[in-house]
Parts: sequence; C-alpha cells; structure tokens
Amino acid sequence: MSGAVWRASRAAVKRRRVQTVVIGLVVFCSTATVLLALAVISAARAPFDDAFEAERGSHVTALFDPAKASAEQLAATAHRPGVEAAAGPFDQAVVTIPADWVGRPPGPLALVGRPDPASAPVDRVELLAGRWASAPGEVVVNNPGGGAASRFVGTPLTTNTGVKLTVVGFATDMSQSSGGWVTPEQAAALHPTGRQMLYRFTDAATEQQLTTSLANATEGLPEGAVESGQSYLVLKQAFSAGADAYLPLMTVFGVLGLVVAALIVGNVVSGAVISGYRHIGVLKSIGFTPRQVVTVYLTMVSVPAVVGTVLGTAAGWVAAGPILQAAFSGISTGTAVIEPAGWLPVATLVSVPLLAALAALVPASRAHRLSAAQAISAGSAPRAGRGLKVQRWLSGTRLPRAVSLGLGQPFARPARTALTMAAIVLGVVTVTVTTGVTTTLAKSMAAPDRSTHIDVQTSAFSENKIAPRLTPEQTTAMLHTTPGAEQVSVRGLVRVGILGQPQLVFADFYGGDAMVDHRRLNVVEGRLATGLNEIEAGPAFLDQHGLKLGDRVTLVLEGRQTTVTIVGKEIQGNANAITSNDATRALLTPDPHVVEYDVKLAVGADAGAYQKAVTGADPSLSASVVTPGTEGSVVAIQTFSTTFSALLSVVAALGVFNTLLLTIRERRRDLGMLKSIGMTPRQVVAMTITSVAWQGVVSGIVGIPLGILVHRLIVEHVRIIAFPDSMIDVWGAPLLAALALAGVAIAVLGALVPARSAARLPIAEVLHNE
Amino acid sequence: MSNDHDGTTRPDDAPFVVELSGVHKEFGDAKALDGVDLRIRAGEAVAVMGPSGCGKSTLLNMVAGLDRPSSGTVRVQGQDLGGLNENGLALFRRRNVGMIFQFFNLIDDLPALDNVALAAQLTGTTARQARRRALELLDELGVAHRKDVYPAALSGGERQRVAVARALMNRPALLLADEPTGALDSRSGEQVMDLLIDLNQIGQTLLIVTHDPNLATRCASRLVEVADGKVARERMLEASS
Repeated sequence: MSGAVWRASRAAVKRRRVQTVVIGLVVFCSTATVLLALAVISAARAPFDDAFEAERGSHVTALFDPAKASAEQLAATAHRPGVEAAAGPFDQAVVTIPADWVGRPPGPLALVGRPDPASAPVDRVELLAGRWASAPGEVVVNNPGGGAASRFVGTPLTTNTGVKLTVVGFATDMSQSSGGWVTPEQAAALHPTGRQMLYRFTDAATEQQLTTSLANATEGLPEGAVESGQSYLVLKQAFSAGADAYLPLMTVFGVLGLVVAALIVGNVVSGAVISGYRHIGVLKSIGFTPRQVVTVYLTMVSVPAVVGTVLGTAAGWVAAGPILQAAFSGISTGTAVIEPAGWLPVATLVSVPLLAALAALVPASRAHRLSAAQAISAGSAPRAGRGLKVQRWLSGTRLPRAVSLGLGQPFARPARTALTMAAIVLGVVTVTVTTGVTTTLAKSMAAPDRSTHIDVQTSAFSENKIAPRLTPEQTTAMLHTTPGAEQVSVRGLVRVGILGQPQLVFADFYGGDAMVDHRRLNVVEGRLATGLNEIEAGPAFLDQHGLKLGDRVTLVLEGRQTTVTIVGKEIQGNANAITSNDATRALLTPDPHVVEYDVKLAVGADAGAYQKAVTGADPSLSASVVTPGTEGSVVAIQTFSTTFSALLSVVAALGVFNTLLLTIRERRRDLGMLKSIGMTPRQVVAMTITSVAWQGVVSGIVGIPLGILVHRLIVEHVRIIAFPDSMIDVWGAPLLAALALAGVAIAVLGALVPARSAARLPIAEVLHNE
Repeated sequence: MSNDHDGTTRPDDAPFVVELSGVHKEFGDAKALDGVDLRIRAGEAVAVMGPSGCGKSTLLNMVAGLDRPSSGTVRVQGQDLGGLNENGLALFRRRNVGMIFQFFNLIDDLPALDNVALAAQLTGTTARQARRRALELLDELGVAHRKDVYPAALSGGERQRVAVARALMNRPALLLADEPTGALDSRSGEQVMDLLIDLNQIGQTLLIVTHDPNLATRCASRLVEVADGKVARERMLEASS
C-alpha cells in the first residue's frame, strides 16, 4: 500500500469515528456470539472422540457367562475377522460397598481383574492417583468424574463376602469398562460371575455395525455365552447428554448470530462506502486510481473490523470456558478435556474480517466503476427521488407531517431498510425464543406447593459424619412427632444393576406419608411409580437404554432381583437414574438406604424451631429450609439464552443505530432545511424515531411467529428434558403483546442517540456547508 | 419619508422588523461579528455585502435564529431571540421568517408542490389546505405547471422559485435570502431578482446577503457593507429597475 493510500485510509478512519466505533462494536458482539456458539457445538463431540482414541477405547465391552465360554474360547475371538484389537478375557466379580465409602453411595461395585493396562491394546485406563494394583488385596477404583480423590488412597474395603481390600489408586477410562480393578489373581479369588472382553472393531461407526461386528467375533461360542455388550456409542451419547440440552438452543443462537452479524456488518460497511461517494470522487479527482480508492475503503472498514474481531474472539474465548464447564457439569468426562477447541479463535480471526471485507467489496467495486464527476455529484447534486409514490401518499394523509415524513423516509433506501429490518426481525426472533425458553423452564421448575419444606439429610449424604443416634424408623417417627410437621416423606438412594446392562444406575426410592417428595421430578407421560414393581425415568435414561413406557426391566441388588415396569416418563433426569418407591425397594434390600427426609410443615409452623429440634434429637442429621431450587443445566440454559438474546439485540440495535446515522448524514441538508423552516427539535426526534419504529412493528409481526416456531423446535429437541404441551404453550396474550414491543424497543433503542443528534444538528453549519 | 428601491415612499415610522444591537459572535478565537448594530423597518429591502468571511452569512443566521450571538441582542418582530430555547427558535422561524438559499435546499424525495406545502404542514395545517395554498404560490411565481415535478428535474431558476414559494408559505414578516442568485445562470438570476422586487413592492421585508452588486442595487433600497465583522458603511440606494 502506498503512503498516500495509507494516509487517506487513516484519515478516513479518524474522521468517521462514530462509524468506526459502530463497525468495531458490531463485529465485536457478532464474533463473541459466533465463537461461543461454535465452542459449545464442537465441545459436544470432539473431546470424547479425542480422549477415546487416545486411550484406544473399547468399541464394545462384552460380558460373557464363564460357565458357557472358556477363557481360551474368548481369547480366540480376538483373532476373528473384523476385530481390530482386543483385550481380555478378564474375570469380573461384583462386590457390595457400604455407605460412606470413598464418597460413593452404597451398592454393588463391579471389579475386573486386569494387569496394568498402560500399554494394553484396548482401553488404556488412565491412572489419576496412587498406583495400579500389583498384588492381591489391592484395588484401583474407577473415578469417572475425573477428580484425583488422592485423599482416599489407602482406604480399606471389606466386601460383603468378607474379603479385605485396600484402595491403592484411582483411575478413569472413557470405555467405563469397570467400577474398579484388581489383580487377575484377586479377581479369581472373588468368585467371578462374568468374563470381560474389550473389542475394537474395524467397522464401528454405527450401532448396527457394532452389533454385526460383535456377532461375527463371538460366532461359534455356545448360545447365551454373551451376557451383554456395552457400546461406546451409548457412552458417547451419555457424554454429550448435558451438552445436547444446549445444542438446539446454541445452534439456533449460533445461526442467528452468524446471520445477524453478516447482515449488520454488510449493512454497516456498505453504508460507509455509499455515504463516502463524494469522498471517493475527491480522491479520484486528485489522482487516486480506482484500485487505490477500493483499497482506501477496504482499509477503512478492515481496521475496526479486525480490532472488533480480535476483541470479540478474546471475549468469546474467556466466556467459553465457564459456559462449557456449566454445560458439562455432572457428566462423567473421564479423561476428556472440556475446553474450547483451539481452531475456534483461528476460525473467527480469519472468517469475520473476511466477511466484513466481502461486505465492503460489493459497494467498493461500485465506487471503483464510478467516474470522479459522478462520485462527486452523488454527494451534492439533487438525487432522483425514491419511494416517491409512498412519500407522496403520506404527505397527503392527516398524520402530523413529522410523522408522515418519518414513515416515508425508509422507502428512499429500500435495500438498506430491508437489511435493517431483517436484523430487527432476527432480534425479535431471539427475544421471543429466549422468552419462550425461559418461561418454559420456569414452568418446569415451579414448586408444586407453596408450603415450607425442611430437608433433613442423613450422614450418608451430608458432610456431617457423626454416627447416627436414631434408626431410620426412629428418625421418621421423631420427624412426625416434632411440633410443626404435617407430612414426612423418605428418600432412599442406592445403585442397582439392570439385568443385561453392565453399568449400575442410581435408584431413588420414595416412601413415607405422601410417597411424593416435593422435589421429585414431574411425570409428563404416564404416571408416578407408586405401585409395587413400578419405576419412572427421565427421557435421557429411556433414550440411552432404548426403553419406552410399558417396557419391563429386571433390577438386581445384593443378589436379589425383581422385574419392574416403566410406568412414567419424568420431565428430565440423570441418564443413569431411575425412580421407584419404598415397597419396590423392600423387594431388593431390607436396608432402606435413606439419604434424606422431606418434611412439609403445617401453615404457621416455626421452621427454625423445627430445624433445631431435629438436630437436637439426632446431631448426625442436618436440617435446612428448602428454597425453590433450580437445576444446574436449566440455570445455564437460561443464562445462555439471556446472554445471547442481549448480545443479538444489541447487535440489531447497533444496526438500527448505524442505519440512522447514515441516513442522517445523507440527509443533513434536508434536516437543516426542515429546521430552518420551523421543524422543532421534538418533531425531528419524532420523525427520526418514526422512521424506524414502524419497521420495529413490522419486524414484530414477522419475528414473533418465527420465534414461536423456533422455540417449539428447540424445546421438542432438548433430549434430556421432555416438556409437556402445557409447558410449551406459554404464549398468552399479555406475553405476545409484550413481545410485540420488542421490535419497537430494539428499533427505538438504536434510534435514540441518532435522533437526538439529528435534533441538535447545527442548521447554520449544515446549510452553509452545502 | 424615505425612498424605497422602486422609488415609492415608505413611512419612516414603520415598525422595526429587525433590531440588532451590539451583536458579537466568536467562533473560538475568530470574531465573525464584532459589535453589529442594524435596524430594518417593515417593508424595507436591505442588501448586505462584503468580502468572503466578513461575517455577512453569520449576520443572516443571527436574524433567522439559526445561530446565537456571543453577546448583544437580536430582536425580530419585537421578539428577543436570546430568550428563546431551541423549540422557541423553531416556532419563531416557522411564524416569522422565510429563507431562500443559494443551493435551494429542496427535499429531493418530494415534488415541488409538497416541498412548498411542507412549511405549512409543520404548523398543523391540513394537507389539503397546505397544497391549495402551495399551488396558489407556485401559480403566482409562474411554476404551477411544474408542481408534480421532483427537484432533480427542475431547472435552477425553477428550483429557486419553488424555494421562494416555500419561504412565503407561512406569510413571514421577513424574507431572508442568502446568495439567492449565486447558483443560477444570468437569465434565471434576472427572473429571481424580478421576483424579489415584486415581493418587496407588495410590502415584503427583505434581507439579502450577496456578493453580487447588481442584485443588491436592483433589489435593495439600502446597502449595508460589512467588513471584519463590523458594519463598515450603510447607504441608501437609488432605484434601478
């Protein structure tokens, strides 16, 4: 770039400070939005794949009946066609762990006998703390949350059969092949009930391929030898379940962000070029070549665009970390690293300025073609009128003239008006979607009653590790007789096995007075599991286990089993959790495994006195007044929605701001003249705001139905939450009326400052300059 | 009794339409007006002349209420403009002043008729009434046949006639003209001068800022020469038309 071109570009940037700031701000907000959206979308998949491949994860973790298939037969399956690699066979035994053992709920724990897997062909389990089990009596515990838990190394474990083990390490694996690992000798001593094989197949892209590959590998084994086969695709789906909740929303916001950014950047940039035609003419008249003129304008736009992109990328990057943390909280991430992908900043840093430059290129090439004389006259000679019929008709109406002038103004620049309106429409869509999503979520979290509840936690569930003074039955009786109690319900929590499934699931057993804890999740399909051998589960559990209402599964606990029917679908819930009742629990275990009680207080009861009485009766209990809680992912979704809505609304308002700024600059002479013949400042403001307010109204009419449609699409595709129609249909007349104002609000918000600047335009200066 | 530009007489006791007293105007360190005193009676036609940058346009802006003096008082139609806020100044201009400019300042998106009607419509006059009055004015100025034409398709002279019609729309006490013939060819310039003379003959008070001695001597009865922000000389002019 020659010195003259650079100097002209620098002068243009300096002279158009407001325009430069607007371009920078629009690009900043758009870049941050796009980066956040892409971060969540990419994080939902890539980390699992990366970590899984690094560990050479098991495509299928198969469990065999040792009575039907010998170790030699299983070892031979490793060499069957289609098997890329295999590890095993390993003996698997199931032991029962007591309450309050290394911070886990009580229940069965599958232990696999494996030598150090650091260089195994499949499932290279990663050690998090301590060391691998090298001698009988040592156990390494799987810690799927990924935390080191080194403080528990050395903790003893006495199994239900009296075998004594010591925790020597914690490990994790993406394949989730076991609850813990011991030496092969120790596994054999634990009376194994199964043999494990870990396979990697050459064709493993789909469930169908996995089923076929496993069938090929196990061909020739006796019938019934394969007890179960856990697919890595199910784990992958479980891994992204939390993020899946965000995906539809983030995808919508990501796409909206991209489109709004493209529209506004295009509008802002092309407007900057069009409004600079006179300047272009001057440059050409003093000897700038057409190419140099284009360079000046591209540079003028690129400087703020690059600054906006860099800052937007930085802001998006900083925000992406906490947002991803929220999205993946509570998910077994194993060794997967949840962080924004490294290519994201590169992508935004390259693509966004390119988008701005492309947007500038179209009008700049027009400037390229204009002769110097044409370009100069574009700024001063009378223009042929545009939108004439509309303006003529408006001037004959009974509307105040300032209003009719404002209404007609946008017709003079139809393309600019269309781009601005498109941005407002998208802003309205965003606000509508956000309002819909947050209203739906608020409804889903609404407390079923307004009574005061006391949450009483046992030592199994709280940090309070004092030995209990009362038995569960005595505690229930005490809670009933303590003054103020109206109802007492009990919640037991234990991990149970499901026949044919290698992983254990959490089971909540509710009992007591109401059989329904006030925090218990709503059932949106079917009914509450209050009868014997009935369970309910969330959509994620049903989805990932391929189950539906009416299906029957067999629960296994402490050597007992019972077959239960799925009678209810909960609104949401953990992908590895089911809900049942105390009577069903009694079929599996005599221990109620109580972790907490819910006490509904009578109206007017003293909650403080009740809490005090409870902890006085048994200091191992901790009691607290329940405040209407919010589920983590729900709060996160609301936070996202609000953040994105605010971002996109600001971008849309900036679009309006810029459009008006350009219009005012172009119409300075007209404004000066209107003021010279007696248009008051208030009339100028009214005219300017009217020119965009009606666009806001039209945008509302277009944007609200679109937003309602998008809201429905989102809530119907959040796979971990099943919203009933009553929670989806949130659109009452008052809400729609409020939303109708959203477009106007965005438009007026963007118009206020330019309108005031138009009202303050110095007439003498404007008219003198012309 | 005094001579008017056409030789008719004007009573010396006609009320003052414009009264400037000790008006100063500074733009930073630069003095645009430096203690200007000027009075214009109703029906007078006054031309202000002077070299570029002498302050004549600033003087016109003060009288039109487009700008405020740094000190001194500006009274138009007995109203002290210094006491008016922006809103008050807008209403003042609407009721008392009509302006014509060198570059016409018509709105490109409105046809001639609506450009003229606009000034009345801002006061709340209905569109029908405003258009009727605008058409009368265009007719009087000889451009009624161009009422539906947009500014871009009008000749320079026609544009200035439309601008004059707009300036007269609200029957202003004072018509201000800033280089009204500066952007016109000689023939169109002559036509506009004739128009201003005609207006003054029927009692319209005129204040014209110009570089053109021909315009000043033909249209004005009094010439005010401004130099370095001060009134350097005032003299009565002989009628030349």
